[in-house]
Amino acid sequence: MSDIKIQSIAIIGKQNNPLYIKNFSVFHPDLKYHYIAHTSCDVIDERVGAAGPEAADTYLGLLYAMEDLDVYGYVTNTRVKFVVVLSVTNPVKNTVMKNLFKKIHNVYINQVCNPFYNLDGKKSIVSKRFVAAIDAIGITPSDDDVSP
Amino acid sequence: MNKQYKQIGDEVWKNRVEKINAELFTLTYGSVVAQLVKDYEDYQEVNKQLEKMGYNIGVRLIEDFLARASLGRCADFRETAEVISKIGFKIFLNITPTVTNWSSNNKEFSLIFEENPLAEFVELPDDGAADELWYSNILCGVLRGSLEMVQMQVEANFISDVLRGDDQTEMRVKLVKYLEEEVPAGED
Repeated sequence: MSDIKIQSIAIIGKQNNPLYIKNFSVFHPDLKYHYIAHTSCDVIDERVGAAGPEAADTYLGLLYAMEDLDVYGYVTNTRVKFVVVLSVTNPVKNTVMKNLFKKIHNVYINQVCNPFYNLDGKKSIVSKRFVAAIDAIGITPSDDDVSP
Repeated sequence: MNKQYKQIGDEVWKNRVEKINAELFTLTYGSVVAQLVKDYEDYQEVNKQLEKMGYNIGVRLIEDFLARASLGRCADFRETAEVISKIGFKIFLNITPTVTNWSSNNKEFSLIFEENPLAEFVELPDDGAADELWYSNILCGVLRGSLEMVQMQVEANFISDVLRGDDQTEMRVKLVKYLEEEVPAGED
């Protein structure tokens, strides 16, 4: 069992509009994670620009670290960004993070397949099932392998 | 008798049916419903339209069904129900809803759907859809249309749906009457 503790999961749309931000931490207020997600956008845009046009679903790894928090990023083919903030005591393996992002991606895909979900809307995702699934990921991250 | 129907259904599904991608099918039906909702803005009207569309599908689908399954006439309504469940739904959706809750006069029964390929990934919007919209209502129309073509007038409607938060998805089918061949007005 890994000892990572997820503080926040953020999903950002392709126009850098926030789709969903969830704060799991008890120490820091929500606003802090909004800021973190915001600055992550810039870092991601930098990294993606450097990677070039052939990038597929890209696991970007550690974007940056601050105080006791590490920020990890992941970009999908459709330029939707997932940002996960952890507070870690030990360095986290890439495979663990990749699995985590894959799980979040799957939850997002299930949400997108809902015919009543408006993809172009600027509003955040409010679906109960999506919220519950993200909560489940945030509270008990595990090392299971995930199938797409 | 039941085992025979199941075998026929499985055999036709395996050998004589072309398959398409499930996600494509689900997304297509989903966009039909979403578009109807946007166009009509009234869930009861959407239910009616879905039922009408289903009726049009049903009157054509029955020919395809009879050709693939090459069955004779059903002896009674109970047999009809079994054929619908084990062969009809099996061939077209690869599901076998359970037939239950027969009324005392054997003219009404329920179909319980444990899985519904039309409704994968679907979550009803919060604006009252959960009280009014029957997402899979097209299936009711399909049954009505196809049975009318074999001289049975039925009414079919959903009475519960997991998308609405109910425990199960259940459709009630009632036989109204057998349709006799009508003699054209000119003859005596």
